[in-house]
Amino acid sequence: MRSVLFAILVGLFGAALLHIVIVLALPQFTGRDAYTRVLDLLEMDSFFPLTAEPGPTGLRSGNPFLRTAVCSFSVADAPTRFIARGPVPFWSLSVFDSGSNEVFSMNDHTAVNGNLDLIVATPIQLVELRKSPPEELTQAIMIEMKDEEGYAVLRALAPFDSFEEQVRDFLTDSSCQLFRRS
Amino acid sequence: MFRVPLLVAVALAVAFGGGIASSVWALKATVGFGSIAIGPWVAFPAAQTASADPYAKAHRARTGELLFGSAEGLMFSAATDDSGERLSAGCSYDISGITPPTRFWTLYATTADGSTLRPGPDLPSAINSWTVLRARDSRFVIHASPVAKPGNWLALRHAGSFRLVLTLLDTPTAGSSGLIDLDMPKIVKTGCGNA
Repeated sequence: MRSVLFAILVGLFGAALLHIVIVLALPQFTGRDAYTRVLDLLEMDSFFPLTAEPGPTGLRSGNPFLRTAVCSFSVADAPTRFIARGPVPFWSLSVFDSGSNEVFSMNDHTAVNGNLDLIVATPIQLVELRKSPPEELTQAIMIEMKDEEGYAVLRALAPFDSFEEQVRDFLTDSSCQLFRRS
Repeated sequence: MFRVPLLVAVALAVAFGGGIASSVWALKATVGFGSIAIGPWVAFPAAQTASADPYAKAHRARTGELLFGSAEGLMFSAATDDSGERLSAGCSYDISGITPPTRFWTLYATTADGSTLRPGPDLPSAINSWTVLRARDSRFVIHASPVAKPGNWLALRHAGSFRLVLTLLDTPTAGSSGLIDLDMPKIVKTGCGNA
């Protein structure tokens, strides 16, 4: 009897250990975290507008008043530049790394002139950009990202149905492309 | 003679069964630590950051939601009313008061697992801070109900329990730590059935 109790005790100890291992290791193994889903859209270097109902990747734009678009990017070779402009009552952008950790977020009030113009770069690329800043980037916000891969989420607000067209144009005209010096 | 293998089997069964079951339960039950709760409203302002706790990280990797960045907004959700009773789509609720300071807010209902309720194009399924009707002191009362109500009506066409989601966009609430004085709307049940 004592040995059965002992076995259960050892089992509980193992369960606690396994619990910790599962919780810590899960983010690497789920295969349905936000970054993997954004990659599954197979759409690099442009914003992909999401539908209200979950698509094949399971991503959706849940809030009835917010239209969401996502873009996966990599700064391994060159910095990525995010641009969006248009008359929408509110927009916001978040940049996440491949572990879905927030790197940077902003909205139209924190942007220059209310337009989105953002450069995401590795620390080394950023040093080069700062040393000789190109003419076209004088208004751009520059942030550094340690991770090379990530995704960005752009949200625009349509408080009434009549804003629908403006918001759609805002999202389709937005871009997230590699920045190369001309 | 099978005593030792049996004991080993018991220990392994307890370890794997218990370990897996407790992990699944923990990740289903909560989004992690570091929540702020104001009445029935719960938000996780740090769940999307690198400093989120391991439970929050495992949870967000499992659900794969696109979370709000801290400059974007903060999403509060309520699964119960002010008395702690589960929200049921067969009942009517009054959501009244004011929100914390924010540029814009939206309110809509979701199922218990978080997908947005869409009762149909003709029914008001979501309310925002521009469309809400307010009293003179800028307080509002929203009636979430399966039957039509005067004033601000949030239509419910669903069976079983639901959640209310209040999203504050561009709010200082997301970054502040002194969260004691925040005023969130109250959720009070006003009746069930067609009464």
